[in-house]
Amino acid sequence: MVNVAVIVKLEPDFSEGNVSYNPDGTLNRAETKSILGPHSAIACNAAFYTKITYGSRISIGTMGPPIADSALKQAQELTDADEMNLYSDRIFAGADTLATAEVLRSGIVKMLDGNKIDIVFSGHRASDGETGQTGPQTAWKLGYTFLGNVIEVNIDLERNYVIVKRLVMLQGFDGIVEEVEAPLPVFITVDPSYSPNYRTIYQRLAFAKYRKEAIARANNYKQFLKIYDSKSLGVDPKFVGLPGSPTIVYRVEKIPKAKASRKAQLIEGQDIDAIKSIVPKLRPIVS
Amino acid sequence: MVTESFSNNSGGKYRNLYVVIEHIEGKLVPVSLEMLGEARRLMDDFNQRYQESERVVAVVLGYKVQDLCQQLISYGADVVVYAENKELEYSRNTIDTKVIAQISRDAGLAKQISPEYIPPYIKPRYMFFAADSIGRHLSSTVLAELESGLASDINKLVISDIDFRHEHKTKGQTIRYERTLEMYRPDFSGFLWTTILCLDNKNPEIMRDYHPQGCSIIPGVFNAIEPDIAREGLILQYKPTIDPEDLKVKVLNKQMLKKKIDFDGHRIIVSMGRGIKDDPEQNVKLIEQFARLLDAEIGISLPLSKRLYQLSDSINSKYMIPERVIGTSGSKVAPSFYIATGIHGAVQHIAGMKESEFVVAINPDENAPIKDESDLFINGRMEDVLPIIIEELQKLTPIVSSHME
Ligand SMILES: Cc1cc2nc3c(=O)[nH]c(=O)nc-3n(C[C@H](O)[C@H](O)[C@H](O)COP(=O)(O)OP(=O)(O)OC[C@H]3O[C@@H](n4cnc5c(N)ncnc54)[C@H](O)[C@@H]3O)c2cc1C
Ligand SMILES: Nc1ncnc2c1ncn2[C@@H]1O[C@H](COP(=O)(O)O)[C@@H](O)[C@H]1O
Repeated sequence: MVNVAVIVKLEPDFSEGNVSYNPDGTLNRAETKSILGPHSAIACNAAFYTKITYGSRISIGTMGPPIADSALKQAQELTDADEMNLYSDRIFAGADTLATAEVLRSGIVKMLDGNKIDIVFSGHRASDGETGQTGPQTAWKLGYTFLGNVIEVNIDLERNYVIVKRLVMLQGFDGIVEEVEAPLPVFITVDPSYSPNYRTIYQRLAFAKYRKEAIARANNYKQFLKIYDSKSLGVDPKFVGLPGSPTIVYRVEKIPKAKASRKAQLIEGQDIDAIKSIVPKLRPIVS
Repeated sequence: MVTESFSNNSGGKYRNLYVVIEHIEGKLVPVSLEMLGEARRLMDDFNQRYQESERVVAVVLGYKVQDLCQQLISYGADVVVYAENKELEYSRNTIDTKVIAQISRDAGLAKQISPEYIPPYIKPRYMFFAADSIGRHLSSTVLAELESGLASDINKLVISDIDFRHEHKTKGQTIRYERTLEMYRPDFSGFLWTTILCLDNKNPEIMRDYHPQGCSIIPGVFNAIEPDIAREGLILQYKPTIDPEDLKVKVLNKQMLKKKIDFDGHRIIVSMGRGIKDDPEQNVKLIEQFARLLDAEIGISLPLSKRLYQLSDSINSKYMIPERVIGTSGSKVAPSFYIATGIHGAVQHIAGMKESEFVVAINPDENAPIKDESDLFINGRMEDVLPIIIEELQKLTPIVSSHME
């Protein structure tokens, strides 16, 4: 049995057709509904894979306002989680990644009645223009080995090791798939390109069975929900929220139009002859 | 270096700009040189403005990296600190984080870097990392270890003195924060720019120093300086302490991904973005046809790789894939012709295609920033424009092939 945690985030739904913008082009937060972030959902899929393949107990955590429990519900549907934790306190507001990591670290050590978590999964980045820093910083505070951009997870239950594949992309070089082994516990951020590979019939049957169960459980998700504030979490107020955040957002502005680096010749869409005139330009290249 | 005279023997707890260098198979990743270029420009200005002599310090971890050190000097580093160890051959987050933290905290090293310097030294003043698969996570863990702040995906940097008032940081008082790094990051839409600052808490109730001021930098946005092989600098070897426990994390093997997409082998690249939205399936087919006639490779903007549209599986698996993304999250390309259809021209996309020789954009929005990166801007919808060009190309193609016979 492996103890698995997933940290998830409630985010504005940026998918096509759901996102709403103000006339000036900024995000209309009031009109845009919030959902379990897409990268958080991918992290949930990875956790569910470990449940089906190795058998695991799953605990989900999120820091956010009370409505963030809807992300927990969606996460339970994806993972059949045994427990969900909401870390919510007004003093957590305005946290940067370091202060968020402090709350999440304190929460993770309390999960599953204080039993040690073997693997924590987090998303690659939050989709509302965020950083991808929260996962690795939480890992560091927990003292867990951090493995990023993971596209495949295997557990060696006898040795208590994971063997993962990571996708490493560097500017100007071909992508590399790196195979890494590490002793548990580990903290994994799941690459956006991850998709679980259910190979055997057994896995597929288990998937269907647990998924059904998960949806039933998620209908009563509040039964599985624990809510913590700064006191019950035992965090020092100086290390969370605004006081615990080294960084602040100083200014938000529209990106001024860059100086044109080229002077475009303009062709109107109705001007068929002008459009045709680009073909001779392409011709020497094509031939 | 040593011949310099120092007008100001300044001390202070924080000093120098550390740049964490990335390399692979004995070659520097270009963003490392871009970071050094920007570091050079910032610190030259800093030293002049504040009458200081703070250094640009390149930090390199690896095995057999001495050759790289000289290169880093010629690209603008004043000092290179390298940790040379077989165990550092491949990057592993935990070990690398600890070694970089050791280097950052080493006061003896700081004294070697700046002989004129009066301690107490505590940590670097500023720190740069690459915003890529290695640096993005490494910056997070290093700054967590150093207990300071980090801004990610930066594309503009300014150092200035800032008068600032904040409920928590300053307890409502206006306080001057000198030598503050303003870190600009474009948001996901490519529309808003957020300036992040990393500031000490000066509120007596929650006093805390937050240095270094750290950031990760988007590859492709800053320019490296012209290398000068005559440039002199200090190269220091560092002997890190490595915890044997951390060596249990092992890189078992590395496999190069076979590139399915060959941007370099094509002289023309046709790329598509969310502008396909009105009739995605049909528009992708148009683009396919267009690209085939031009023997072009097909690229996409990042959002398309997220499979936004209802498309057939074959189109999804062929085109809507990360390998085709052009920009900072994908490939950097420089074809003879770059044809952007339905692409807005966000900074992250531009960074991947701006070196193209001739750029054509097809877009019904004359204010789209891609226009400023184009040589030819066709103000129209792809549904209307592409068929015209395709028809014209079809007329041309037989001529071409008979020509080739
Ligand atoms: C850290 C980070 C990294 C990123 N990296 C990348 C990257 O590497 N590459 C990348 O591309 N993006 C990247 N992005 C995303 C980037 O900021 C933009 O969101 C994205 O490039 C926009 O894609 P787009 O131009 O396809 O879509 P949009 O911005 O939606 O633009 C669509 C365009 O299509 C035009 N259009 C509409 N209808 C038609 C029609 N019928 N015919 C023709 N044109 C039409 C519109 O006028 C508009 O200009 C990154 C973002 C972040 C935060
Ligand atoms: N408030 C939060 N609560 C729980 N998990 C979070 C929170 N913020 C971020 N995460 C996790 O960290 C990942 C990266 O987020 P970010 O660093 O904000 O880009 C997300 O996909 C989540 O898995």
